[in-house]
Amino acid sequence: MRSARAIDGRRVLRFSCGLEIRVGNLAAAAALLTGAILLALVSLGSGITETGFREFLRFLAGEPASADQAYALWTVRLPRIVMGFMAGWAVALAGAMLQSITRNPLADPGLLGLSQGSMTTIMLLLVFVPAAPKVAVALAALAGGLAVALLLLWLVGGERASGLAILLMGIAVETVLSSVGSLLLLYTPPETSLALADWMAGSLFQANWNAIATFAPLFCASLLGLFLLGRATSAYDLGNEFAMALGEPVRRSRPLLLIFAVLLSASAVTAVGPLTFLGVLAPQLAGFLSPATGRARLFLAALTGGILVVAADTLARSVVRDLPLPIGLGLTLIGVPLFFFALRLQALRRLQLH
Amino acid sequence: MRRRALLPAVLSLLLLAALGLHLFLGRDAPPVTEALTALSRGEAGSYDQSVVLFQRLPRALIAIYAGAMTAAAGCVLQGLVRNPLASPSTLGINSGATLAVIAGVFLLDLGLEAQGFAALVGAVGGFLASLAVTRLAGRNNDPRGLSLILSGALVSMLLVGTTNALMLSDPMRRADFLSWVSGNVNHVYIDRLYAFWWIGVLCLLILGALSRALTLILLGSEKAASAGVNVRPVSTLALAAAVVGAGSAVAICGPIGFIGLVVPHLVRPFAGANVALALPCCLLLGAGISLLADFGAREAFHPYVLHTGLVMDLLGGLAFAMIVKRFYLSPAVRDQA
Repeated sequence: MRSARAIDGRRVLRFSCGLEIRVGNLAAAAALLTGAILLALVSLGSGITETGFREFLRFLAGEPASADQAYALWTVRLPRIVMGFMAGWAVALAGAMLQSITRNPLADPGLLGLSQGSMTTIMLLLVFVPAAPKVAVALAALAGGLAVALLLLWLVGGERASGLAILLMGIAVETVLSSVGSLLLLYTPPETSLALADWMAGSLFQANWNAIATFAPLFCASLLGLFLLGRATSAYDLGNEFAMALGEPVRRSRPLLLIFAVLLSASAVTAVGPLTFLGVLAPQLAGFLSPATGRARLFLAALTGGILVVAADTLARSVVRDLPLPIGLGLTLIGVPLFFFALRLQALRRLQLH
Repeated sequence: MRRRALLPAVLSLLLLAALGLHLFLGRDAPPVTEALTALSRGEAGSYDQSVVLFQRLPRALIAIYAGAMTAAAGCVLQGLVRNPLASPSTLGINSGATLAVIAGVFLLDLGLEAQGFAALVGAVGGFLASLAVTRLAGRNNDPRGLSLILSGALVSMLLVGTTNALMLSDPMRRADFLSWVSGNVNHVYIDRLYAFWWIGVLCLLILGALSRALTLILLGSEKAASAGVNVRPVSTLALAAAVVGAGSAVAICGPIGFIGLVVPHLVRPFAGANVALALPCCLLLGAGISLLADFGAREAFHPYVLHTGLVMDLLGGLAFAMIVKRFYLSPAVRDQA
């Protein structure tokens, strides 16, 4: 491993196996990881019950804690942090991948109708088979997302279609599915309807260790997928023809990327409901922090996504104590101002360059 | 030329036919004589007469207003934004108005009148937000203005999400507004129509007065400017009128999609680029289609009455897909891109 300069003059670290990492990206990743840990500590200490990191350490050391402190830490806050981080990670990663294959900075699992597809099938399942086991729900979500993805591929006609066409078709599919969703909401009994709507707004209330245990393998798989598929995304960023010219097997890797994104978004929808806008927000913010390509871009985007969700949840718990603020709203409150701020700064930076 | 002048007459007949269908036909329809007596006397003497007067007629009027306003707004928007996918529902106008009304009711306890104005403010806000996101997303050189549609969709999703979250905060009121939020033509909302109809008429008058200038602008801003049109103020005023008109329709019966997107496409092959002709045609056809859709929603699954807005949303998504297929996926366009 040695330090060197890339062709564009940026400092990089070269490993003996040929792997190359930009120092800037590495620093950003380290900063984000530190931020995530700090945020988790703050999040542990915020809420109605007076407890925090110190109690948590003591608890780990084997000292007995009071029952409600243990409950707050171990059953409520920690699962929410872990679950929120993993879900945010998955959605942001899916968004970053979709943005590469559609070549559009506004692509998002929600906008393409993928999460809507998952939601619709889950809702149908919950309405018709209320006692369905968790596995069935997860499978239904996956099937719905995949169905939408296949429908999209079929509608836009294979690999020749441009990314914009996919996006527009996605919006069309999303419109149809969301009206089906509203139809279900309207004509189910009020209790079912309220429960469905609650879940659709996205929440971390149901986070528990079982759910985390089912999500964790996927989280690990996403790391693997990030490593294997990450390089392809940087080829897609240049456009379909360029990707083909660079030797990217477009016919094979494009559906693979799409399916992987569907898998991620479907599992996040199953776990916490849709996280609107996160798929656009996190990659943009990450790109603002440290411009990157390929694997580094995906990694930074996913990390930012996780942090955003944990931050939104912390905000929801510490600011509005009595009212259960849906995570989607918290995300909006934190994310949108940040987004505009970042875009504005980027525009200013561009002005200075020219 | 004469054939074109005939078009509004044909569409008026269509509208009348749809109105007749809506008022006099359907399952459990009161006898036509009873209905006519009720309509001519203006008061109800029997149960059948009151059904016509207090259920069917208000429903028809609301459907006509909503259809006409959204179609007119769609016509003007598609022209001025130069995008075949522009409509009140794709540019964040409907969702902005919905959010404003819901926020007004849930957070500030607004009364009926204030709700209407909240809807207008929300409509303008939603539209401006879409424009702002487009500008910030920074793909201004996009020739077919697609980033506007994308930003519109994003802004709509965001606004709808916020609306749903707000509604969850108060389950009691949620039950009251759940059907309104998804776009429901219902006789209950007739007092909203009484309160807000003048807004729509005002917007239509403005658009009508501007129609000649708008036609020139559609030919190209430079040409319009050289013909003596003050391009900027005219387009701003026309956009404002279209957006506010669509907002007033939302204030009455909630967001209704589809018509604003599709009706201009149906009218254009017959009416051509002349706004002075296309606008009234859009109005008539929009009202007619809205009446027919409402009739379908009412009769399709008889004892149950579907929500007109949802029926429209379903149709609208399909129409959107077809328009995308035709304008953006045809081989000629693909080679261009």
